[in-house]
Amino acid sequence: MSAVSQYVEEYRTIGAALPGGHLPWLRELRERALTQFSAGGFPSPREEEWKYTNISTIEKKRFRPLPISEPSAAVESWLKNYELEDVWRLVLVDGRVAADRCRLDGMPDGMIVCGLAEALTKYPNLVQSHLGLAAGRENHGFIHFNTAFFSDGAFVRAPGGQALPKKPLQIIYLNSRPESLATVRNLIIVEPNAALELVETYAGADEQSYLSAAVTEVSIGENAALDLYKLQSESTKAFHFGGTYVQQARSARFRHYNFSFGGLLVRNEVHTELGHAAECLLYGLFLAFGRQHVDNHTLIHHAQPFGISREIYKGILDQRARGVFQGRIVVHQDAQKTDAEMSNRNLLLSENAEIDTKPQLEIYADDVKCGHGVTVGQLDENSVFFLQTRGIEEQAARTMLTFAFANEMVDRIRLDGLRGSVQAQLLALFSKANLHQEWL
Amino acid sequence: MAASAEKLERLISQEYKQGFVTDLETDSLPPGLSEDVVRAISAKKDEPEFMLEWRLQAYRHWLTMKEPKWAFVHYGPIDYQAISYYSAPKEGGDKPKSLGEVDPKLLETYNKLGIPLYEQERLAGVAVDAVFDSVSVATTFKAKLAAAGVIFCSMSEAIRKYPQLVQQYLGSVVPPGDNFFAALNSAVFSDGSFVFIPKGVRCPMELSTYFRINAANTGQFERTLIIAEEHSHVSYLEGCTAPMRDENQLHAAVVELVALENAEIKYSTVQNWYPGDEEGRGGIYNFVTKRGDCRGANAKISWTQVETGSAITWKYPSVVLRGDNAIGEFYSVAVTNHRQQADTGTKMIHVGKNTRSTILSKGISAGHAQNTYRGLVKVLKGAENARNYTQCDSLLIGDKCGAHTFPYVEVRQPSARVEHEATTSKISEDQLFFCTQRGISAEDAVSMIVNGFCKQVFKELPMEFAVEAQALLGISLEGSVG
Repeated sequence: MSAVSQYVEEYRTIGAALPGGHLPWLRELRERALTQFSAGGFPSPREEEWKYTNISTIEKKRFRPLPISEPSAAVESWLKNYELEDVWRLVLVDGRVAADRCRLDGMPDGMIVCGLAEALTKYPNLVQSHLGLAAGRENHGFIHFNTAFFSDGAFVRAPGGQALPKKPLQIIYLNSRPESLATVRNLIIVEPNAALELVETYAGADEQSYLSAAVTEVSIGENAALDLYKLQSESTKAFHFGGTYVQQARSARFRHYNFSFGGLLVRNEVHTELGHAAECLLYGLFLAFGRQHVDNHTLIHHAQPFGISREIYKGILDQRARGVFQGRIVVHQDAQKTDAEMSNRNLLLSENAEIDTKPQLEIYADDVKCGHGVTVGQLDENSVFFLQTRGIEEQAARTMLTFAFANEMVDRIRLDGLRGSVQAQLLALFSKANLHQEWL
Repeated sequence: MAASAEKLERLISQEYKQGFVTDLETDSLPPGLSEDVVRAISAKKDEPEFMLEWRLQAYRHWLTMKEPKWAFVHYGPIDYQAISYYSAPKEGGDKPKSLGEVDPKLLETYNKLGIPLYEQERLAGVAVDAVFDSVSVATTFKAKLAAAGVIFCSMSEAIRKYPQLVQQYLGSVVPPGDNFFAALNSAVFSDGSFVFIPKGVRCPMELSTYFRINAANTGQFERTLIIAEEHSHVSYLEGCTAPMRDENQLHAAVVELVALENAEIKYSTVQNWYPGDEEGRGGIYNFVTKRGDCRGANAKISWTQVETGSAITWKYPSVVLRGDNAIGEFYSVAVTNHRQQADTGTKMIHVGKNTRSTILSKGISAGHAQNTYRGLVKVLKGAENARNYTQCDSLLIGDKCGAHTFPYVEVRQPSARVEHEATTSKISEDQLFFCTQRGISAEDAVSMIVNGFCKQVFKELPMEFAVEAQALLGISLEGSVG
């Protein structure tokens, strides 16, 4: 029996217990997604957008959705590693909200932060009007899989028209059990004129294999702004699919910071559609060691005039790791005066590492300014030599330069607490890869 | 800007100047494709047994393949059974012994195209192998080339006269099963050019082939093979046109280049197949596989192409940089107008150490056209210190067209350095203003800017072609930008 039909079979037994079972529209949505999933299965490398990523290892394994159970005691200590100070916090363990670990007191009026399952009973209309809006444009197996199977997720609504206290919201997704399946579906609604800072942290128990398939749908209203930080430090044996699909209204601003450090087989997707004079910034840093495979897929639709987009992704690949960057900018016919730039820079540190990069421009309007650039290479020998002449050992000099290459992206983080935490993780990774750090 | 809009109108209504039909009796096979057709083609060509076997294998493999769909072009399904796979001008028996015996109507066709064989023979010193529909009509300058030891003849002649060379090299760069269109070509190719430059010889003149599709409902499947032995050098030119017809015609060619140690091949193309009318009716489907193989150390292969024609262009002249220090180059200007679609670019496969490649691609898109650059730079594990530089620039003329850039970069060697840059823009009003303000007419200014945009590529073309390419660009785009 193939993995796909196994999952489809499983839906028959657990489907009714999934959240929102009382809502006919949702049942129908799930059924439709299941039909699409059972027809198409998971994406295959024969599809152009999945050319460099073969997920057949996921199909060979059998991940099971977990029944609701008390999280293990170890969870507490893992969470400690990722919790930020002075934030509101929503915690999901094994794909479900762990209410007693959330810190959501003192929310301003109109602001909603809760689990999606809870939102489906409390605010079904609000959910109905947004669920599937941004992800509906996407069409591949993981989206359908998530839609059919999502067990919970984060539901966030930032109200407009009032000053919100400048306090970020952190959502932690923790996977604690082996061979488990976490399908979370997040809905982030930033209403017109509101501003929100959001940190998503994906983490898991060390050395455990599990599948985390998350889909995040974001809607940013007129003149609203969202800074979304995604920190992916799944276990080194985990499979991670994380798709973020964004719709930006007129003059909306979206900043995405994507740090991908963990996972064995990882696919990050960030797709956004820009309204009139909207702005988006996509920053990414991915590090991969061992046999890790990290695929970053970004898509920016300039649908309306005067949009601005900036994208910088950097990759560091060592040992037998493989990195993929696929970035696409589409400028539609109406999107005159678009200004788009994309750059992807990669550092290959080992003979066995590989990078595949495919930056794409698709342009249908004539009065635009678009460009993209890619570089693949190693450290500049002159810079290494310069440091050596200052009495720094060669190995230390190389580490220093590699760290500086990565740190440029970390420096762009606008939240002090998070910047420190990401930097610490980066250093920990460097020491794991036997890179010296006594110079710090 | 009103003036330039007018010129754009004029450009859009520009007619295809090479779109005449030559009324000739042809010897054609009925439309359809089967093993019998493959056998018939092979028999007509009087081929040795091994060629028939080779063709049949390719044909059987083709049957198992599916037409690729990944390219950024859209067209209706092609009925492979509605195409005639062989068409030759009828000459009543023997092939012409000299140019004097060639059908005068044919020669007139070439004159209209601006490549009078006599004249070229006398003035330009270019040896021309002209391929009309499927057979090679006449090859000039044979004697002079033979003295240098260079073999330059039609493919069918090469198969008969030099079967060993053909057997050794044919399909060694583009195997018969390489892709759908290459397999089809391998099964039914009717003619093409064959060039062999022996060791240490610098080919005394530039070689040239002119292709023309004349008969209706035929496909042209030519096959070109160029072999440059150690320390040799050759520059090869290729030009193409086709008459105007309402239906689409298929052109699926295969070009193979082999460069051994220290050899250099320079391959230039000016492609001006009939692009269809303003509404996109008719025109040539140009699905071509071109690949060069730098087999020896220090070999160099350079592709230069000016693509102005074809309803659909789908080609990626590639270089496999096998030998150490080998060099691959790709210079391209692709112009699309009306409803033309082009998905073109290159592949540079770095295998050997210190291999270098340069890609320079200029795309110009006007009317409702879609112009795509698609290129692969692949650095394999052993390619230490490989170096690639890619630059793709696109120019958009009008707001209904599209320009796309899809580069693929795959690197498995840490010492490799790969750079890719791409920009898309239109001619800036500042630039235009600067020129007009200095008394240069808007039309001249635009032509100047577009020519400047393409200059880096044009300067790679041999003299005769550079002139033709500039004229072609002038015809298609002069004064149309604004």
